[in-house]
Amino acid sequence: MPTTTSRLGRDRGLQARMLLTLFLLGLLYAAFMAALFAAGAGAVTMALVAGAILALQYFTSDKIALASSGAKVVSPQEQPELHGLIDRLCVQADLPKPQVAIIDSSVPNAFAMGRSPKHATVAASTAILDLLSPAELEGVIAHELSHVANRDVALMTLASFFASIASMIIQFGFFFGGGQQDDEDGPGFFAVIVAAMMVYAISFVLMRALSRYREYAADRGAAELTGRPSALASALLRISGQIEQAPQLDLRQAHAELNAFYIVPIGLKRGLGNLFSTHPPMEDRIARLQAMESSLQRAAPLRDDVPVGV
Amino acid sequence: MGLLDSVLGRRRAAAPAADRLFAITTAYIDLQARSGVCSAGAAAIVFQPLATGDFEQLVTSVEAVVRSTGEETASSVERSTDAFGYHWMIIRDDDVDDLAVGINAVSDELATGGYADRVLCAVFAFADAQGAPLYLIYNYKRGTWYPFAPAGGAAQERDTERELRLRALLGDGLPVEPEVSRWFPLWGIPI
Repeated sequence: MPTTTSRLGRDRGLQARMLLTLFLLGLLYAAFMAALFAAGAGAVTMALVAGAILALQYFTSDKIALASSGAKVVSPQEQPELHGLIDRLCVQADLPKPQVAIIDSSVPNAFAMGRSPKHATVAASTAILDLLSPAELEGVIAHELSHVANRDVALMTLASFFASIASMIIQFGFFFGGGQQDDEDGPGFFAVIVAAMMVYAISFVLMRALSRYREYAADRGAAELTGRPSALASALLRISGQIEQAPQLDLRQAHAELNAFYIVPIGLKRGLGNLFSTHPPMEDRIARLQAMESSLQRAAPLRDDVPVGV
Repeated sequence: MGLLDSVLGRRRAAAPAADRLFAITTAYIDLQARSGVCSAGAAAIVFQPLATGDFEQLVTSVEAVVRSTGEETASSVERSTDAFGYHWMIIRDDDVDDLAVGINAVSDELATGGYADRVLCAVFAFADAQGAPLYLIYNYKRGTWYPFAPAGGAAQERDTERELRLRALLGDGLPVEPEVSRWFPLWGIPI
């Protein structure tokens, strides 16, 4: 099928950094698996049990996130404008219609969850619906739908899979290691726990980097879907202004963070290093959206990227 | 979209395939022969406007082109904006062939200008034997058609029975969207 390239251009640097991060994670996890096998059958069994628990979580993650965020699924009759907006963006993005949910909250936010486009939910808080203009809301929802199209929940779950196994081994390993006074197993388990700790620490930084790249990619996706990068930038400015004024936020929302992709993180303080944050700094996101807008405006008279004979 | 496109966050917009749009002309002949459904004499193309200088220019020139060719076939062109900020270019003509030619001219021009991904859909308006409105919506991204029948009244309700009946009448003549979940409604159609 013939395709058209985006007028916003491609961010090949971003794609390269994403692939590099994924490659490093894969390398790290392969080494971790090798360490587990080297440590013997006990470690492998533990990893398998942890994996089974995680797989179960993965398949129920959307329901857990939906329940823990207090989001309520709404019908087209209850929210005709929001549904209409999402319908149109789904046509543009060639996505199946996700479930639409509303969170009764005074914090302006929106998020997407679900492991695949067929099992996706897009939620918006009542505050964000009140706060944003239709074009800004369209930008925010397009950002969330881009997370769905990019399969970010599945990707991040997969990327965190071994990190979670490592974390479980650290927790239960001490427990088992303390219980078993077997001389054969003792040093083996100790080595496994040290390996798990290292895997956990390194993967934590890599995962955060990956998460930030996914945010940039979703911003770009939203700009491509709506053709209005500045509307999303304006929405981000407006939301961040509100969030800084907002008092202490509902902590339950922070728990669902890995399963849900928020438009802006809540409860994260600026002092926290860039290395450890899931979202890129707001100024940086806005600067990139501005660059997209100017390339859109500048690209206008260019016609050489147009496919011939469509 | 492939898995690699997902992982890299790439988006590929499918370009409209003209023959799939023009399938409406033969499908309409069948439809007329088999049922009391007839054209309401209007079709529209729906697109997102862009705030770039050349986009407005392009749309204005497209409108002029369609208007001048429309003089031969006695069709008229008008533009409106809906509540979602989308633009509708509406062509009125009693002949469905002329409508398809006009709609295709607009989408073709937008695609040539590099704006193919801004087009949402094309809508052809029909009326059944009782005179109730029926629509056939063409999804450019998927190259498929689907029926849409608002139930009427203030509530946004669709008459799924009439939509399914229309699909059954269409048979194989038209590339109909196989996934019913992709039959996205379009409320407040101005034609």
